[in-house]
Amino acid sequence: MTNSIAEKRRQQEDEDDEEDGDLEGWGERNYTDERSWEALQEDESGLLRPIDNKAMYHAQYRRRLRSLSAASNSHRIQKGLIRFLYIVLDLSRAASVMDFRPSRMAVVAKNAEAFIREFFDQNPLSQIALVTIKDGVAHSLTELGGSPESHIKALMAKLECSGDSSLQNALDHVHEYLDQIPSYGHREVLILYSALTSCDPGDIMETIQKCKKSKIRCSVIGLSAEMFICKHLCQETGGLYSVALDESHFKDLILEHAPPPPAIAEFAIANLIKMGFPQRAAEGSISICSCHKESKVGEGYICPRCKARVCELPTECCICGLTLVSSPHLARSYHHLFPIAPFDEVKPSCHNEPHLKSQKTCFGCQQSLVNPGNKPSLHVACPNCKQYFCLDCDIYIHESLHNCPGSQILGSTDKAVEQSLDHTNRANLHALKKDVQKEFKDHMHHMDCNFCNDMYFHYGCTPNL
Amino acid sequence: MTSVPSKRYSDDVSLVVVLLDTNPFFWTASSSLSFSQFLSHVLAFVNSILLLNQLNQVVVIATGYNTCDYIYDSSMDASQSSEKGRMPSVYSNLLQKLEEFMIKDEKLGKEQSQRAIASSLLSGSLSMALCYIQRVFRSGPLHPQPRILCLQGSSDGPEQYVAVMNAIFSAQRSMVPIDSCYVGANNSAFLQQASYITGGVYVKPQHLDGLFQYLTTVFATDLHSRSFIRLPRPAGVDFRASCFCHKTTIDMGYICSVCLSIFCKHHKKCSTCGSVFGQAQSDTSSASDHKRKAPET
Amino acid sequence: MPQVRIIAKNFMDMVASLPAMKLDRLYQNAFICEAILRSLPPLAKKYVVQMLFFDGPISGKLLEEWVLADGVTKHKVAIDRLIQLRIFTEAVDKKRESSYKLNQTFQVNLQKHLTNGGVLPREPMASTVRLPSLEELDTYAHEQWEVGSSSLCFHYPSHLHCSGQAEKPTNLSSSMMRIFQRGLLTQRDKDAPRLTEGGFQFLLMDTNAQLWYIIRDYISNSEERGTDPADLISFLLELSFHVTGEAYNMNTLTEIQRNAIKELADLGLVKLQQGRKESWFIPTKLATNLSVSLTDSSSRKQFASSLMILVGMFFMVIVIMHATGHVVVETNFRIYAYSSSKLHCEILRLFSKIEYQLPNLIVGAITKESLYTAFDNGITADQIISFLQQNAHPRVAERLPSVPENVTDQIRLWEADLNRVEMTSSHLYDEFPSRDTFEAACDFAREWNSLLWEDSKKMRLVVKAEIHMNMREFLRGQK
Repeated sequence: MTNSIAEKRRQQEDEDDEEDGDLEGWGERNYTDERSWEALQEDESGLLRPIDNKAMYHAQYRRRLRSLSAASNSHRIQKGLIRFLYIVLDLSRAASVMDFRPSRMAVVAKNAEAFIREFFDQNPLSQIALVTIKDGVAHSLTELGGSPESHIKALMAKLECSGDSSLQNALDHVHEYLDQIPSYGHREVLILYSALTSCDPGDIMETIQKCKKSKIRCSVIGLSAEMFICKHLCQETGGLYSVALDESHFKDLILEHAPPPPAIAEFAIANLIKMGFPQRAAEGSISICSCHKESKVGEGYICPRCKARVCELPTECCICGLTLVSSPHLARSYHHLFPIAPFDEVKPSCHNEPHLKSQKTCFGCQQSLVNPGNKPSLHVACPNCKQYFCLDCDIYIHESLHNCPGSQILGSTDKAVEQSLDHTNRANLHALKKDVQKEFKDHMHHMDCNFCNDMYFHYGCTPNL
Repeated sequence: MTSVPSKRYSDDVSLVVVLLDTNPFFWTASSSLSFSQFLSHVLAFVNSILLLNQLNQVVVIATGYNTCDYIYDSSMDASQSSEKGRMPSVYSNLLQKLEEFMIKDEKLGKEQSQRAIASSLLSGSLSMALCYIQRVFRSGPLHPQPRILCLQGSSDGPEQYVAVMNAIFSAQRSMVPIDSCYVGANNSAFLQQASYITGGVYVKPQHLDGLFQYLTTVFATDLHSRSFIRLPRPAGVDFRASCFCHKTTIDMGYICSVCLSIFCKHHKKCSTCGSVFGQAQSDTSSASDHKRKAPET
Repeated sequence: MPQVRIIAKNFMDMVASLPAMKLDRLYQNAFICEAILRSLPPLAKKYVVQMLFFDGPISGKLLEEWVLADGVTKHKVAIDRLIQLRIFTEAVDKKRESSYKLNQTFQVNLQKHLTNGGVLPREPMASTVRLPSLEELDTYAHEQWEVGSSSLCFHYPSHLHCSGQAEKPTNLSSSMMRIFQRGLLTQRDKDAPRLTEGGFQFLLMDTNAQLWYIIRDYISNSEERGTDPADLISFLLELSFHVTGEAYNMNTLTEIQRNAIKELADLGLVKLQQGRKESWFIPTKLATNLSVSLTDSSSRKQFASSLMILVGMFFMVIVIMHATGHVVVETNFRIYAYSSSKLHCEILRLFSKIEYQLPNLIVGAITKESLYTAFDNGITADQIISFLQQNAHPRVAERLPSVPENVTDQIRLWEADLNRVEMTSSHLYDEFPSRDTFEAACDFAREWNSLLWEDSKKMRLVVKAEIHMNMREFLRGQK
């Protein structure tokens, strides 16, 4: 009985993870209860109080946002949206150490899974491959591919660790593959390194230079302590090096690699890629699926070039090698190109501005920005549209929505199609407003006679209803 | 086994955020249905949602051509009720706010140097609606089941494409279905995609004078009941892209590797992000080359 | 008065069981139409709204086409309910296909509601005097309710001494007192009244159910007092559409309503105030929430598929008041209840050992013994657990589960301990003359589904007592 409850809770937790993406902080709290004393602080009268998590979390989030936007403001926004990423998992003896619960390996696997899902959500046209290091040798677990499920399945199936770890073998192995990637793609390696040593067959410095020449961006997340060789590798290749403090920190660090990195001209040459936009196969049609090699009914996509049938998008046609996408997939990445500016915190003193003084509710969600004590609570303002937002909306807008509701209003007029408002239109508008009140009541009384035939009810007759 | 928190919110309690298109350019041009008729249908629909369950909540956001704003919130209504009495305020409040809104909308239009757009600010009102729904989600484990209903008449504004898509994906992530009822002339590609991606229902009524009947039969269905009620199925949604240069729909095209802009033929420079391109990829992309080599290792 | 003593399971059944004429009269009141609509299952609601602006009859087939294959049972339930409540009238044509038509009055009333947005049942009085604030009203409603339920607690046998200090029940009118006590207390001769099994369960019911119980009794006994239940139902529903905290003139009420309202005041549904010239009533939250509907999925076993409107609403309020719940259960079986209420203390005492009581805190422990006494009194483990869950302190309630699993499991286990042996009265047959007779007897018993045990070697079998007579007949026939 307790098993099933635990199971259920785990599922719930997983769902939370998926839904919240970056807001993982609170989902974790259930498990860190054992350290509950850390969430207490003493106030001025000596009483213990829980730390105001919300304010702290928000401050943390804003710092991250600012640093991100500072990085991207410096030059014109160009991001590497087409990425080829190798994830290297260190499954040497060191991965079985239990300083992370239940073991480093389990924590790495769990978070790698979350990362893979998030990665494909944010970079629908990119590809991932998995590599493991075990017994001093690097092995490919999966080939480059765009389907999160197949990677996760392969990852979960092969979880055992032994032997030493070798950074050089891993890099050589990855280099061999990444070197053949088309030049427009961003070549990246993300190493999740548990060990404190590397047992290499040759001079690792040479390998690092080789990677640098091939423009492979190497990043490392360490699970034990900082190592010079890792830091050197990341510095040389332009990657990020970080060491995780605990599980939630590890999760933050790994998820930082999900959004596309800024495109640096030398890393990837801009190019035009030929892609196909397949149409959905008609429902009920039977055809042989080229990816599963069996016949399937309906619900497929037809490659526009070779007319082969594939099951899901995005993918690469198995027959002619054309990249197949749908327009929403491309659109999923567009928000990286048009990021919204971070909102400015509003100091209580700013309230003297006359036109803003009246705004007492959050522009997004209508929540009151005034605390019960008539004291204005902490809130932010969009630099573009000058509307006020509450902290929750701030986070939601930047992390998930990627639209400022207020700026839509001002922004779109700039791009407006030229069309003058002629006088008849305006006159009509006035007339419209006047008769609304009068007419709707009259009209509703006549409404019943409009429904004399039963066409609205007959489902079969109205397929397009 | 674990506690079912409370009995107050049953499955069929819903929060409906109605996005009301008030674009005067559309409504003055529309011959089949006047705005006031349209409004009468919608108000009756709002009333019927509120009638179905005491805990049901309706929020109406007006989508103008320059701005959008909340014009009605039934939860606010309840708290104000002591002044005005209960039900009649649905009409008076909403209409009053709507009128204020349309004046503001028009004024903004004038300020913006006589510019006007035939399309409404769907992206703005969708974003607002999602912010509101997030707030409902935050309010605790007990909340009504939210959904968005777009009542749109004016045509899609291509310049809102990115913003609308962003909103759609965010709705998809938080599992909020976007229903749409399009009363304009042609189908709206934005709304078709929105409903398809988020699992909502897209309807383009054939007979606009029976709008109320469409609204109640299709869109009054709460999310719980949707599991056993037959609703209009999405007719094929076109996911083919249109190129940025000629706006034509294409089967195959070229994508800028930096910004993913779509072009129907090869260019030297990306018009969106300004990247300069090297030579075009040959048809057999090198990505498939490496695949062929891969098994050797 | 046969039709009054209904064994209605929920309020809607009660409404449905009213004679057709009275039902039609009820629908003349727009508020009742609204409240009844809300109480319907979702699919039925949908049908009604869909057909609202439709004059002619609709064939049943058309309606069914809107439902997917696995929703057919739901469709049947919805149609049955609508016919039962006389909202639909069914007509069968020559081809034996049925078609449905909405009740005319019902339809017109709801149409008006949609187009006009409904109106208030009566205008509030221009306030000349200071009216109580909403908080004051809530406390008032809450206190009134507690007075009622605690009148039961003071009769709990182990606390006879408490009943001596029955200071509170005095301001409860005798008719309400009777309702509270009917069925919940038994009184033998001159002994102090004792709580019945039902009484125990009453105290642990969730608050919706409690109010439901009382209102049900109140309505079903109304005829004894010379009031028409239909009037009462319509008044209660109408009351729910008043505005909380507004004053309404008593002169606008009919004689029957005026009588009823005095009794409802005892339950905390309304507060009565007397001015110099006239008197008025102020509905509390309890009353105005009357038309919240609760659907089947939310109800509990005893009131399965029930707890519709009326009741729901009433007690919603208490749920809200209790929503500032007070009980914390620890994994070591201790209970902390932040409450100064005597009622809470008494309720906790039903199933736990109260150890000490501080001004605002009751501390107790759940023990095997305390639970056994509770089980003896007919309280079930599920009731106790759901009581603890529903009254969980807000800080605990955020967490899931709000009551530690080991505690809930243990409570269930202790209950299961008592149920290890199940008694079935039965008869043993042996000394069969032949194997054939024995086997025939076995088969016979199996057919009746009442063979409990057989031993083919010694040719003995045990059969449930119910079919003893049939068995005897059968065996006689064999001879």
